[in-house]
Amino acid sequence: MLVTWKYRLRDTFIQRLDPRTRLIFLFSIIFALTIPEIWDLRIILPIFAISLTLYLMARIEWKDVKRGWAFILVFLIFIVGINGVLSGRGGPSSVTNIESPILFYVPILTSFGWDVPITVSKLWFAISQILRMLTMAILAIPIPYTMDPNIYGTAFKRMGASDNVSFTMDLAFRFLPTFARDFTITVDAQRARGYEMESLKGGLFERIRRLSPLIIPVVMQSTVTGEEVIDAMDLRAFGTNKRTWIKTLTYAPRDYFMLGLGAAIFITCCVLKWGLGIGGFFVPDFFTALLVGS
Amino acid sequence: MNDKSTWEFGTRQVVYGAIGAALYGVFSWATNIFPLPAAGNVTFRPAVAVLIFFAAAYGPWVGLLAGFIGNTLGDALSGWGFYWHWSLGNGLMGLVAGLVSASIKDFRAQGDIVKAVGWGIAGVAVGMLFASLTEMFMGGIDLNTALFGYFTPAFLGNAVVTVILVPVLMIAFAAVASRRGR
Repeated sequence: MLVTWKYRLRDTFIQRLDPRTRLIFLFSIIFALTIPEIWDLRIILPIFAISLTLYLMARIEWKDVKRGWAFILVFLIFIVGINGVLSGRGGPSSVTNIESPILFYVPILTSFGWDVPITVSKLWFAISQILRMLTMAILAIPIPYTMDPNIYGTAFKRMGASDNVSFTMDLAFRFLPTFARDFTITVDAQRARGYEMESLKGGLFERIRRLSPLIIPVVMQSTVTGEEVIDAMDLRAFGTNKRTWIKTLTYAPRDYFMLGLGAAIFITCCVLKWGLGIGGFFVPDFFTALLVGS
Repeated sequence: MNDKSTWEFGTRQVVYGAIGAALYGVFSWATNIFPLPAAGNVTFRPAVAVLIFFAAAYGPWVGLLAGFIGNTLGDALSGWGFYWHWSLGNGLMGLVAGLVSASIKDFRAQGDIVKAVGWGIAGVAVGMLFASLTEMFMGGIDLNTALFGYFTPAFLGNAVVTVILVPVLMIAFAAVASRRGR
């Protein structure tokens, strides 16, 4: 097994953006949907279209991302979607409070007389909820594939994090391949001694305990490495003065455009919801007509 | 072995925060790729024991940074994306577990091991509760789903791993630290 970063250099608009821009834009969308509590698909859909466009512009190959997508879709459909359809809770109270035609009942505890009614309202809520989460997720998914791991520390520093925090982040990304290699070597060495990673036997506790031969050597070696790194950094007077950073980040016009777009989306959502009262949950007439007839 | 103030944040915390994060990332990735079989939707992440151990050994800052950055790294390696609230939840898990660090004098002593495991479980509870409850605002799930669909499996899985592996790590660390002399 080989630990590799998902990041590849691609000549795309997304990768030409400053990493700060991408993180700030991601948070703008998250806050735009969550702070004013937007549940109206008329607002969610255009934002979803922007997120999807940015995702497609990242030009990530399907074979790279299919595992991540499988995880997210299973989660969205089976946990969020089914929960939304069955309970209708989690969003605004209007989902379950408004009068809505019942489509059918799901028998869960029929003998106790507890059949869950599936209403048009709950169904529309589940669709809204999935799309709302997808809008945020498709901005988050491309980050590991399109953001250089070496730039995270600098990006957080330029976003206002302290030298210590930024350096920790930078150092962690640099340590990772070394520890991944140590872990691989340890796994191979233990296998050579007869350790069977694929068939851990015994009860639950025993199975977890038997992971010790893989974890202990790597962790203990890393603590020894840490002391050497601390000595090296102390000798170079780390922490006595403000640090300078080799990588510099500068905003280009495209970054200002994206930051402006993020701010505009956030402000628009706030104004629509709090100023005009638009953005709350409602079931459009066409959807009700589609399911139950007019 | 363990002379320190709880909230010190110097070179040692920077380095061990980074090491803890890298290890947490590697082990999380390994579990994401080769999940350990478990019951229901409970998953076991041995990486959590490493995080709790680093927090107990080096303090709350190390726990916070190792948890936050480590979870980000694990998700990045697995290609799942960047979910700040789960990363922050993992960071809080380490931070709370690290509050015990100043009172741990002997990593082999039964009392200190119990303290580290106890604070570790408290950290798991706080961190996973934060992440699960934040999911209510992020994803619009209801409180029941947050508590029973997210928090309970995450808490149980992580608590079990903490109880089993943290003592092993602490005893191994005591031997390494005594050989190293600091």
